[in-house]
Amino acid sequence: MKMFKRLIFVPVLVVALTISIWANAFAADEIKIGVIGPMKFVQGISHWNGAVMAADEINARGGVKVGNKMMKIKLIQADSNEFLSITDATNAMERLITKDKVHFVVGGFRTEAVMAMQDIAMHQKVIFIGCGAAHDELCNRVAKYYDQYKYFFRGTPFNSTNLVRAAFIHVGTVAEVIKKELDIKGPIKVAFVAEKAQWADAMVPAVQATLPKMGMELVGVWRPSPVATDVTAELAGIQRTGAHLIFTVFSSSVGIPFARQAGELKVPAIQVGINVEASKDDFWKATRGQGNYVVISATYARDVECNELTKPFVEGYLKRFGEMPTYTAGTYESIKMSLVDTIEMIGTLDPDKIVEALENRVYKTPPSTIMYVKDNLGRHTHDIRFGPGYATGLAVQWQDGKLVGVWPNGWKPAPGVEVTYKGMKPIKLPPWMYQAYKKK
Amino acid sequence: MKTILFYIRKLFAVVKNEVLVLPSRVAVIFFFLFILLLPFFTDDVYILRIFTLASIFAIFAASWDLLSGFTGQMNFGHALFFGVGAYGAALLNLHYQIPPWGSIPLGALVGVAAGLIIGIPSLRLKGTYLALTTLAFPIILLGLVFTFPGFTGGELGISGIERLAPTRVQEYYIISVLMLGLCTIMWAITDSNTGIIFHAIREDEIAVRASGVNTTRYKLLAFCLSGFFAGIAGGLYAHFMRIAGPSTLEVSLSFQVVIWAIFGGAATIYGPIGAVFFLYPLVEFMHVLKDYRILMFAFVVLLVLLFMPDGLFRWLREKVEEECPRCKVRNIATRKTCRVCTAPLD
Repeated sequence: MKMFKRLIFVPVLVVALTISIWANAFAADEIKIGVIGPMKFVQGISHWNGAVMAADEINARGGVKVGNKMMKIKLIQADSNEFLSITDATNAMERLITKDKVHFVVGGFRTEAVMAMQDIAMHQKVIFIGCGAAHDELCNRVAKYYDQYKYFFRGTPFNSTNLVRAAFIHVGTVAEVIKKELDIKGPIKVAFVAEKAQWADAMVPAVQATLPKMGMELVGVWRPSPVATDVTAELAGIQRTGAHLIFTVFSSSVGIPFARQAGELKVPAIQVGINVEASKDDFWKATRGQGNYVVISATYARDVECNELTKPFVEGYLKRFGEMPTYTAGTYESIKMSLVDTIEMIGTLDPDKIVEALENRVYKTPPSTIMYVKDNLGRHTHDIRFGPGYATGLAVQWQDGKLVGVWPNGWKPAPGVEVTYKGMKPIKLPPWMYQAYKKK
Repeated sequence: MKTILFYIRKLFAVVKNEVLVLPSRVAVIFFFLFILLLPFFTDDVYILRIFTLASIFAIFAASWDLLSGFTGQMNFGHALFFGVGAYGAALLNLHYQIPPWGSIPLGALVGVAAGLIIGIPSLRLKGTYLALTTLAFPIILLGLVFTFPGFTGGELGISGIERLAPTRVQEYYIISVLMLGLCTIMWAITDSNTGIIFHAIREDEIAVRASGVNTTRYKLLAFCLSGFFAGIAGGLYAHFMRIAGPSTLEVSLSFQVVIWAIFGGAATIYGPIGAVFFLYPLVEFMHVLKDYRILMFAFVVLLVLLFMPDGLFRWLREKVEEECPRCKVRNIATRKTCRVCTAPLD
């Protein structure tokens, strides 16, 4: 019996050892990338979708060429649960790095969580590309404590300061159209409507200070509840002020009733700004078509090409996932263009060498051209450059059931510079604005 | 030498006759040993992280039990003390360069002040009214955090806080040993005369007042003690996570602590601690189940609350131990007679 046990034991041991060695050898030919985000929410789902698309495309062409070796991409998903618990987010990041032994991490959304996760990744010297949080501080840390935070890069979107700057440019562009189309002689009157939420509070003084400098008149500030279902009182107030333009800042459900009721009441003003609900495909149905002419900031639009990479990505994403990509799908370019292209260029997975190479690269991604900027003191920030020829974002408008790109379309940010992306359409004003102002 | 030998003999006698005779006490010894010896079996920083956080939340949960379980002052805004302790420690460390050993106790003192601020206006309130009032306080503080972002860091919170120790093992030992010490102190408080008065206030405050006890003073004491321990937990959390942000004041954290305490068994101290050490790693290690993780968590909690309304650990204790109907001393359930008075056990 003892002899029999030994006879069985030895081959089992040999097979187990072989499998283990083979598995380890196979694992050594993989680049593990952690994708972290709130996976039960649309932001996290987009993180994952973008990453899957990138990994599949890379693996289909044989993998990543690291020196003389081809390595496949292996994605590891981590649900950060960051909307509900910062502790869960940090645990997920620690697990990715120490248990799953990922080489790189992409994702993150809520700023407080990303900062805590950033500390863990930086401590472990793992490159972390942020694909969701916009706050400037994430990159200010890189500038201030470079040796500690140099492994962090901003992927998408561009920082909050530039997001606000872009929104003001959109307002200015639409104001010019109003002046021209309706022959308004005096300053354009702007009503500012921001949902009653802390994140939007800082926008109020910014709007009060900036609009007069842009030659516009701020006629009032309205702060409806983020979950309001009736905003007719606010709209009646706005109509009484004679506003030509409504500068909106909505991230919650109030974006739907506001657009719908403004359309139903035919308020003679065009809505421009941030409205997260309006960026979704079902906005048209939700507003019963009354959300027509709403202008919002966005990253992608159907038929708009920022460069030659936009169309294949948007069409591929639409085909595969049945919806337009959101900006958190920027994990796609973070993996494919930022990490993999750099690795193939330098032929190593050494994070310090990748950091150095990335800092000096200028490369195209589906929504923009990426260049990492330095601050006023000449320090690396690993923040992306905003402006013509680089990241600009888009302004899109609902026109007869379709979300079309309307900016940059002949945008002249400096003398002799004009930016127009392929597929742009002219901005349309609501017909009732013509009726209201042409009479006068 | 004789004195030392006497005390060693006494210790052995106590262990033999008072500890080893009861499964609950043996379990506590095993728990202490598990906590103290864990780094000898694993140096995995992720596992140590989970148990370090469990230790912090165990202090937090026990502090809720001290106030709401024992004294009956139903607090649905316990995150206030945690958040105040976290912000206090973070601000002191960042702006005044006070090291963690100073910033954490000072942050806890801010927690005591928060206890007084809540306790005084809440003295006339009871039950649901008190619960709803306490629920409002962290929300008010959260509003203040966003109103003064220059001081509090606003939505980002305060980051760049000094680490508690250079290595994870050192951090683990600092926090877990503190947890064992602070929870023992909380248990000792509940076992003292003060604890008996706390208990009595919960059962019948008018009767306690009629006995000549100043219940106002004791209720305020409970708020302050609870604020102190929760403040320590908050300070430890801030130094461990290296960030003190609005999430430390969120309503979800206030409810989380109630779930832990009720799950483990309120008015026990050991119940909430056991619940944290059972539920927190369970939920974390269940991440492989992905979408089903929270469903499983809810299922486990519901199952326990349905079949063990007094809490899991109290239920377990009742199953393995029995109280003597005559002398009230606890005995192992297998005994037929009381180990002290020899009265027959049911």
